[in-house]
Amino acid sequence: MKALTLLALFALQATAAPQDEFPRAADGHPDFSGVWQTITTAHWNLEPHIAAPGGVPALGAQFAVAPGLGVVVGDRIPYKPEALAQRDTNFANRLTADPETNCYLGGVPRSTYMPYPLQIFQSSDIVSIAYQYATGLRRIDIGGTYEAPLDSWMGWSNAKWEGDTLVVEVTGFNGQTWLDRAGNYASAAAKVTERYTPLSPNHIQYEATIEDPSVYTEAWSIRMPLYRIVDDNYRLLEFKCEPFAEEKLYGHLRKPAE
Amino acid sequence: MNKKNINKNYTNPGKFSIFLRALALATMWTLFNQAALAHHAFALEFDVKKPFDLQGVVSKVELINPHSWIHVDVTDANGTKVTWMIEGGSPNALVRKGVTKQSIPVGSELRVIGYQARDGSPKGVGRTITFADGRELFFDSRVPTESAP
Amino acid sequence: MSFAPVHNFRLTTLIASVMLASAAHAQQPRTAWGEPDLAGAYSEFTLAPLERPVELGTKEFFTAQEAREYQQRVLEEADQDDETVAGTQEDVHYDMGTFSLSANEGRTSENFRTSIITTPANGRIPPLTEAALTRQKARNAIRAGHEFDGPEMRSLSERCVVWTSTLPPILPGGYNSNLQIFQSPGYVVIQGEMGDPRIIPTDGKPLPDKLLPQWNGTSAGRWEGDTLVVQTAGFHPNAAWRNASEHMKVTERITRVDADTLEYQFQVEDPTTWAEPWGGVYPLTDLDGILFEYACTEGNYGMANILSGQRALEREAAAKVQP
Repeated sequence: MKALTLLALFALQATAAPQDEFPRAADGHPDFSGVWQTITTAHWNLEPHIAAPGGVPALGAQFAVAPGLGVVVGDRIPYKPEALAQRDTNFANRLTADPETNCYLGGVPRSTYMPYPLQIFQSSDIVSIAYQYATGLRRIDIGGTYEAPLDSWMGWSNAKWEGDTLVVEVTGFNGQTWLDRAGNYASAAAKVTERYTPLSPNHIQYEATIEDPSVYTEAWSIRMPLYRIVDDNYRLLEFKCEPFAEEKLYGHLRKPAE
Repeated sequence: MNKKNINKNYTNPGKFSIFLRALALATMWTLFNQAALAHHAFALEFDVKKPFDLQGVVSKVELINPHSWIHVDVTDANGTKVTWMIEGGSPNALVRKGVTKQSIPVGSELRVIGYQARDGSPKGVGRTITFADGRELFFDSRVPTESAP
Repeated sequence: MSFAPVHNFRLTTLIASVMLASAAHAQQPRTAWGEPDLAGAYSEFTLAPLERPVELGTKEFFTAQEAREYQQRVLEEADQDDETVAGTQEDVHYDMGTFSLSANEGRTSENFRTSIITTPANGRIPPLTEAALTRQKARNAIRAGHEFDGPEMRSLSERCVVWTSTLPPILPGGYNSNLQIFQSPGYVVIQGEMGDPRIIPTDGKPLPDKLLPQWNGTSAGRWEGDTLVVQTAGFHPNAAWRNASEHMKVTERITRVDADTLEYQFQVEDPTTWAEPWGGVYPLTDLDGILFEYACTEGNYGMANILSGQRALEREAAAKVQP
């Protein structure tokens, strides 16, 4: 009986092991290709926060801030005092000042945890990521070393492998993105280091470290899983929000009614 | 055909004969006229009856899309400083030629000939933008280098 | 295969496929997972115009000598155009030369075709149907007299919603006339420099029957030998690519020709717009550079300037009327 059980266990192990593994690319590295999405309220606020009004009374509970345990390692973003004041000013003005209200690109890392799917396409030399929100797109060169020629919204990404972790260094930001809807922000001098590590076959552990001595007293990190979307025949749809922001951006320049 | 290393030589491709290179230049001028007529309501943004020719100091450079904007501080005879926003083109092709955000340093002196915003604000489209000493705006940056992306 | 002059393009295709299938097949660069490698950044610029000049009739190819003469004529005409004249409306524009914004950034492939369009035989877009003309009139009627009332009256490109030149089928035009292709197992992504990423599954599954309208349509891809065949349908009715309706269907065939060149073949059909399908072919040439981010709405000062300019005009006009 014991021998049979052992044999059964052994057989189970042998057949179960490949399904327990994160998919691998032809070159042996973990293959992060696929459709992924985070499940957090980081898009509202990276730090721990309770439920709160969203700031648009007419939308009541529909636009309320859902509570979250926070995704910041150590809970608090280590702002310099004057930068914290700026963050608080951002928060007070968030309904007009948040670039998301204008359909502006989310930048990095915000695009990762906006409540919309993203799709990763991985080859040996290039990882590209398409974001459903505002049809954002990043090109990440594996082994790339070239510095950002100009600033951009999604930054300039160079990556390398450290074992099974894809480490992506992102610089060349224009300083105009926010990190969430609560006014947390970084400057154009920010350097973001993302780490994508297989957690289980359908999960990537996503970590982003943000260094910006003009804003923070020290580097700090966020961490959260990316969940694979396993729906049959799933595909990203266009969230081209430009027309939805036109009234806000240009309504005051509209021809007055006669 | 992925490029492992995006540090590329910007060289003239072997396929492109000298004759065809001249054609490319011609195509540019032809397209210029088409673009000017078809593109982007320039007639409404800027007034052909408000030409200007100014000189000033660069205070901010926005090499952005859909159009670049160069902010130039112009000081008049009375010593009053006005910041002009000068519109240019998309920077994407410049990036491929080695231009970076250091290509127009803040503090450079520029000369701008153009047409002013229709609403009278200190904005204009830069018909000709050069350094005050006559150098072409991005010429020095457009030298074939090992490091153009 | 090259874009060398032959008498019959279909013969060329046949020869080319045969060649590719046998000798060239083994040389076709492949991705790590075994597909033909189409990835890279490409210039769309080509010397053949979209439509064939009427006087050339059904002549598909120039001889090498004819090509030189044609190009020389274009050169001379362009020389005569010269620069714009100060004080004229045409002069109210930034200098494209300063920003290196020629459609051709210095890379293109030899192309002796007299036009990009090969079907119909005259190399020109078929006339619009009555239905298409009616739709066009209706669109223009909405705008007439209201072109600058508000942002929604402006063009899709001015609003930074979409550049129709980046929608399928992607054709050369304007500036930043480049595209990039990413490739991973089961997917190809094609993105025009000023456009959105088009995500194309390559697993061979057909398009779903019901499609939500999308500006870029929805695409389904499959490999036929070394050619990627992409079907796209389900377009947004307001995209109106060359006056087409939401019923437009696009087929693209992309094949690597050599280390620097892809062949881009396309066909468009929309019976509510054109009585017959039409299509053509042109080379995509390695750009020897990368595409840079084109964040449009984020920097769209122009929209505010245009509307504010019109409001200023209206105020001036109203002031003149006042006693």
